[in-house]
Parts: sequence; structure tokens; C-alpha cells
Amino acid sequence: MNSIIIGQYIPGKGFLYRLDPRTKMLAIIFLMVSVFLLQNITQLLVAFGIGILILLFGRISLWKVIKGLKPIFVLLIFTFVFQIALNKSGTVVSDAVMHFNLYSVIIAVGAFILWRILVRLNRFKMLLFIAFLLGLYFILRYADFGNDFYSFHLTIYEKGIEMSVFVVVRLLIIITLTTILTLTTKPTDLTQGMESLMHPLKKIGFNSDEFALIISISLRYIPTIFDEAQKIMAAQASRGADFSEGKLKDKLKQIVSLLVPMFIIAFIRSEELADAMESRNFVPGQKRTRINVLNFSMVDVYTGLFTLACFAGAIVAKVVL
Amino acid sequence: MGIRFKEVTHEYPSYSKTMYKAIQNITLDIPANGEFIALVGHTGSGKSTLAKHMNALIFPTSGSVEIFGNTITNKRNKAIKYNDLRKKVGLVFQFPEYQLFEETVEKDIMFGPLNFKVPQEEARLLASNSLSMVGLDVTYLKRNPFNLSGGEKKRVSIAGILALDPEILVLDEPTSGLDPAGKHTLMNLFKEIHDKTGKTVIIITHDMDLVYEYFNRVIVLKNGELSFDGTPESLFKSDVIETNHLDLPNTIKALKYLKSEYGLNIDIYKKTVEEAVLELNRVIRDE
Repeated sequence: MNSIIIGQYIPGKGFLYRLDPRTKMLAIIFLMVSVFLLQNITQLLVAFGIGILILLFGRISLWKVIKGLKPIFVLLIFTFVFQIALNKSGTVVSDAVMHFNLYSVIIAVGAFILWRILVRLNRFKMLLFIAFLLGLYFILRYADFGNDFYSFHLTIYEKGIEMSVFVVVRLLIIITLTTILTLTTKPTDLTQGMESLMHPLKKIGFNSDEFALIISISLRYIPTIFDEAQKIMAAQASRGADFSEGKLKDKLKQIVSLLVPMFIIAFIRSEELADAMESRNFVPGQKRTRINVLNFSMVDVYTGLFTLACFAGAIVAKVVL
Repeated sequence: MGIRFKEVTHEYPSYSKTMYKAIQNITLDIPANGEFIALVGHTGSGKSTLAKHMNALIFPTSGSVEIFGNTITNKRNKAIKYNDLRKKVGLVFQFPEYQLFEETVEKDIMFGPLNFKVPQEEARLLASNSLSMVGLDVTYLKRNPFNLSGGEKKRVSIAGILALDPEILVLDEPTSGLDPAGKHTLMNLFKEIHDKTGKTVIIITHDMDLVYEYFNRVIVLKNGELSFDGTPESLFKSDVIETNHLDLPNTIKALKYLKSEYGLNIDIYKKTVEEAVLELNRVIRDE
């Protein structure tokens, strides 16, 4: 719990760090739209290659990006499995009977236990999970000892494989792009860029300054509130509220004992912050100067041109091919 | 019985690659009875980390802590009921007023005992008893804890731990943010609990006047290491004070100044202002 890094910005060098946050945000949006315009797997793989090239060019280690993918890994697996199992068009690639009998179930349970034990010992949790799913498939397929109490046909179609790869690769590209943004941009720069981009909306009554302020304050206070939560948890644990054990009813009560103080602390903090800001002459809506002024440079021009080229390419691919 | 630290080291992960050692190689013995211990040291010297080990809120990175016969190491042991250890060693955190959450003072104090499966009626009795222990009368029982003053909130939250009837009481800077009168009321309360029940009380404090006046044992931490363990009298006579950049109590400071400035033949080690004044009177009569 101690190692949560909010926004996961990691300091580094390379052209991505020197880019203006506004350019970066716009470029990412355009690139994402381009990715959604692509229609077949070849085009998408080209886009994936371009994504990897951006990473290499920006000197971002692939390993960090893969680590960033961890939280959505389960989602990727699910989309993959569902696409394969449920898409029923195109030619049949494989048609196998899945056997559920006493032996196959016992072996499957054994595989499950083995997987859980290995997960505890090993660091490669993702690979183990994939190995477990594959193992499960083979166990159910080949454990044909007769007297099945249940069996079904798992038919895999060509289109299913194509679509599953397509969807997963598309998700991968989108997430890699957003990871690039959060990995190389400080939260403060991000909000400043957002404020600047939304400035034109002022004409229709949307106050971008205040919006940006709200975002940066919330980001700033996430670690603080997290710290406070840990303190309160320790204090309530000292009064016997064990958050890890106990019945559901007791747990609810214990969560209340955490939430009420958290709300009170949040209110106290916000009042203190408001006082501190006011005593430094902060007036909402007043024009403010900044220490760091955002500036476009040549890198931004190149990036803009590159993004437009990608976007144009995607449109051409959509219309012509 | 009691708490026994054996070469305890605790490391926190820090942003740089190296781990940050909050406490190192602490070996300590705290009996369950008869001691009134002050835990002093600079900010960041590891006092709070040490205190959290005492009721197994955190585990040592290396070494072991023995709490009433249960040995705590860096691995969670399924045979030990960690929650029960927290009833044996009551830990009151700094700013305990933030832990209040119920709608009445009574319910809030009962929260602890009820967690340890004490029957409702008995918990109610414990609540009113511990509330009177901290010097608040029964009219407070039905009041809303959020409408109390800062000092009253602090007392209510301390009562919440006292209601658990712990064998050892640990308090993290209970007197911070209180006026001198409030400080002495609370210190007298802890002293009274200690005198009446004989239970060991451990208090983290920065106030050397209180250390000198009340305690019979002082533990000094410096950069996570144990640098002194003994009586306050020997602490203030030793050079540990200087090497640790600790302050002397005001009485000693004043008498020491008079002694060096006027060359008086005076015993500078006096605990309270009254004793210091008596000593001064004696010296004036003699000279």
C-alpha cells in the first residue's frame, strides 16, 4: 500500500519530456482517434510498430510500460477469451469437445492449486496465469475417459481469432499511448496544459482556471489523505477494529470508523488550505502569473507534423483501402 | 512478561532505492508492572515506529518483539491473534481526537470494548468509568464528541483506550497542543493510573520538565538507535543530553545558570519549582 505512485510520472530525459504538455495531449488524442479509424489487423500491427518506435525514440523502457499494463491485464485476457469463444463467423479453425468428468475436474483443481502456489513463489504472475488458462484448455480437451457428466463443443473460428487479436492489440496501443502521457508529464504540467487547452471554453461560461485548480489540488491531496487514512486505520486497529478479519457486519462498522474521521479530516484540511490561500492573497477568478510558462519549440512542431501524418494515413486507410 | 525487543530493526521503503531505517538494532526490556517510562528523541528518531511495534501494528524487518509471550517477527504467524495483543498493550496515537467517529461520547468509548466482545452492559459501565478516570463527568456521556473542545476530545479518545483496560499503556505525545495546566492534569492522570494499578505506562514526549518531574525511566533514541536507557536523574547528569541535543529541564537550567554566574554552592538537580526555591532559600541563608 505504501508504494502507490499517483499519476506514475517517472523523471527522465528524451524528447517526450521536452514536449509541451498541450502538444502531447493533442497528439495523444489524435493518435487514439487514428487507431480507432483502422479496420484490419495489418494496419493495426503497423500502428503497434509505430507505437513501439515512439517508445524507443523517447527512450522509455518497455518494461515500465508493461508494468503499467498490469492493472488492465485481466481485462485484456477476458476480451481475448470472449472474442475467441463467442465470435462465430468465418471458417472453422478447430473444433474440440471439452470433457467434464471426475478425472478432468480433479486434474483441473490440481492445476488451479499448483498455479496459486507458484504465484506465491514466483514473480511472473501474468505468464503463470496464461499458462494456467492454456493448461486448463488442454486438460479439458484431452481428459477423455468417457462417462462425462457434462461436455460442450469449443469451436474456434478464423474470424474469432482475428477479432480477438484485433481488439487486444487496439487496447494495447491505446493504453500504451496514455501511459506515455502519464509517464512523461508531471501532474502539474498536465493540469496547466489542460487549463490552457480549455481556455477558449471560457466564452461559453466554463471556467478553465478553476477547473484546473480543482484538479491540481485533488492530485496534490491524494497522498496526504492516503497517509491520514493509514494513521486512522492504525488508531482504530489499536481499538480492536481489525480490518482484515471479522464478520461482514463487524467490518461495515469498522469501515464507518474509518470513513467518518476521514471526512472530518478532509473538511478540516480543505478549510485550512482555503485560509492559507486567502492569506496569500489568492482571489478566485483573478488573473495569475506563473513561474513556468508553457512554450512551444521545434520538437512540438515535429511532433505535430508526425501526428498529422499518422492521422492522415489513418483516414486514407479508412477511405481508400 | 511485558514487551521484549530483541535486535529490532524496521525499514520503510523510500523513494530512493535504499531502504530507510527507522529504528536499528533496538534491544529493550519493558516489564508489565511498575515502570513509568518516557520515550524521548528528536523528530524522526524513530519513537513512533518503536511505539507501533509494541502492539504489533507493524512487524520488525529483522529481529523480534516478544509481547506477553507472543513472538512477533517479520512474518505473520497464524497462531498469534494480533488483535488480542492490542487489548493487552493500549496505544494512544498523536492527535487521537481524529479517531472519534460515533454520535455520542459513550458509544465512541464503547467501540473498543465491543470489538473485543465485551457484553453491551459491561462496555457501558467501562465507558462511564474510564470517562471519569480522565476527569470528565457523566454528563459528557450523551454529548456529541465533535462538539467538544480540543482538550476534551483528547481526553475522550484516551478514555477509549483506557476502556480496553490494557496491561501496558503507550501514549504518543499525549500532551502536545495543550496548555501547561492541561498538560499537568493529563500527566497527573497517567501517574495516578500507574500508581493505582502498578501498570507500566510509556509516554512519548519532548517536554524535559515533565520527564524530570514524573518519570522513573527514560529511553532516548537517536537516529533510530538506542542511545540511553536509565533514570532521568542519571540522564541529566550524563553527557547524553549534549550529544543528543536535548534540552535540560527549566529548573536545572535556571539553577545551573545561577551556579555558574555567581559561583553558588548549590545543588542544581531539583525536580520542581518549589524544590528549587527551597534550595535557593537555603543557599541564601547560608551565604
